[in-house]
Amino acid sequence: MQRTVYTVLNDWANTAVPLIARRSSKIRASLWSSRDYSVIPTPRDRTEKEMLDRMLRVDHAGEYGANRIYAGQMAVLSRSTSGTLIQEMWDQEKKHLEKFNEILAESRVRPTALLPLWNVAGYLLGASTAMLGKEVAMACTVAVEESISEHYNSQMRTLMEEDPDRYTELLKVIKEFRDDEMEHHDIGLQHDAESVPGFWLLKNVIQLGCKAAIYASQRV
Amino acid sequence: MAALLRAIRAGRAFRGLCSVVVAPTSNLQHASLKRGFSCAHLRLQDESTSNKYTHSPGQDPATASQGDSAANPLADESTRGRHSYQDQGGEQDEEYETEEQVQAKILNAALEFVPQHGWTLEAMAAGAETLGLSSASTGMFDNGAGDLVLHFIAHCNSQLRETLAEQQKQVQLGQAEPKKTADFLRDAVEARLRMHIPYIETWPQAMSILLLPYNIPKSLEHLATLVDDIWYYAGDRSTDMNWYSKRAALTGIYNTTELVMLQDSSSDFQDTWNFLDNRIQDIVNMASSAKQMQSTGTAVVQGLMGAAVTLKNLTGMNQRR
Repeated sequence: MQRTVYTVLNDWANTAVPLIARRSSKIRASLWSSRDYSVIPTPRDRTEKEMLDRMLRVDHAGEYGANRIYAGQMAVLSRSTSGTLIQEMWDQEKKHLEKFNEILAESRVRPTALLPLWNVAGYLLGASTAMLGKEVAMACTVAVEESISEHYNSQMRTLMEEDPDRYTELLKVIKEFRDDEMEHHDIGLQHDAESVPGFWLLKNVIQLGCKAAIYASQRV
Repeated sequence: MAALLRAIRAGRAFRGLCSVVVAPTSNLQHASLKRGFSCAHLRLQDESTSNKYTHSPGQDPATASQGDSAANPLADESTRGRHSYQDQGGEQDEEYETEEQVQAKILNAALEFVPQHGWTLEAMAAGAETLGLSSASTGMFDNGAGDLVLHFIAHCNSQLRETLAEQQKQVQLGQAEPKKTADFLRDAVEARLRMHIPYIETWPQAMSILLLPYNIPKSLEHLATLVDDIWYYAGDRSTDMNWYSKRAALTGIYNTTELVMLQDSSSDFQDTWNFLDNRIQDIVNMASSAKQMQSTGTAVVQGLMGAAVTLKNLTGMNQRR
């Protein structure tokens, strides 16, 4: 009976009345996940579910795109001197993507519908910058990793504002990944990314693209 | 809306008091009598204490029906009600909750009358009357019969979800053999469609109501939840474009099978289940041929690359020798 009531309530629950949220939290638990969570807490209401869905969807898309960029770079630079370095960074990104795949499947989040687009766009960006030389590839890495870490930082801020205790596990994951991305950013800078003529322009164009991609992936 | 609710409650209280006189015969009357008493009692209490709490917790049908079996529902309810007020501090919230629950009760009761009256306001009115409410209470539903159909679908979906979750638990505990994905999908769709059998005569009407423009977003949402639930319990954990293609395929199967079922006159809808079998088999075949195509594709690309390298070597253009 209560379950039925809840289903009817669905629409109305958008307003997230705390009383109902508390009362039906047990029902929700069985609705949205059938087993214990490891990283994502069982959402207590619709707004929280939506917030987490958006975050995880865009993070997954971001890691997927980053993977494709490194794949594009490796296609061109695999035999050059910086091949091993790029491979190392790529391997870390692969681990990140794997983790997000796991989280997405576990908490039943819809992946973004733009994945095929990021697949092609990421690969093209990686390959085209790599063709212009390894410094340009590094500049691209710097730009992308900077936007990703900024994005992770803003997510961590949101989660800290919401409830730091509740999202401890998720915060830990994001923090770890953010640190990895920052490391890649620094590696890029150490390898003469800034020596590229028009570095500022290149960086800003790529970052604008990243921002657009983040905006789109949250929604679609 | 508040005025309407108040009127309904007053009506129920009155009816409850009346049935004291005629001596309750059925269980239903008994229930409404108790509710009526509790309403009247709480109303008196409320009015004497404060006008702010006019919307008494006696309105809450869930607690009221639990109270029917409890020894002393009144004390229980009133303390619980007070408590939630303190928690909430908002009259508004309480009112919304009860309204939704009353609606769900009416719709549940109305389902009984669907074979007789169809998916109409009449069925809803008849359902409301069994609960001791005025038939005018159907005015609560902005969407009319659409609300009834959507409620039924949501109800069936959650029932299926429960069954699937139960099955998954048994598999996890090792009490049942895990099914093959194709069989799982087939059984889940069949179980879901079997829920339509009691209403099959009037189901075309329900489908047409679902296709009304203002019902489309909700009905699509329910369809998406249904398909997502089935895939989730079938063990799908994909996070790429497969996520979409799998759901699209299952939606197609579900919808076409639903249509076939409407015209099926075989015993126990045997033709429908055969049709369903064949469609699932189609999807399995399609998936395996797609896989073959993919591997053929990679093999061809590798072959071409190899040929290109050989050609380069033969013409002496390869710099990496």
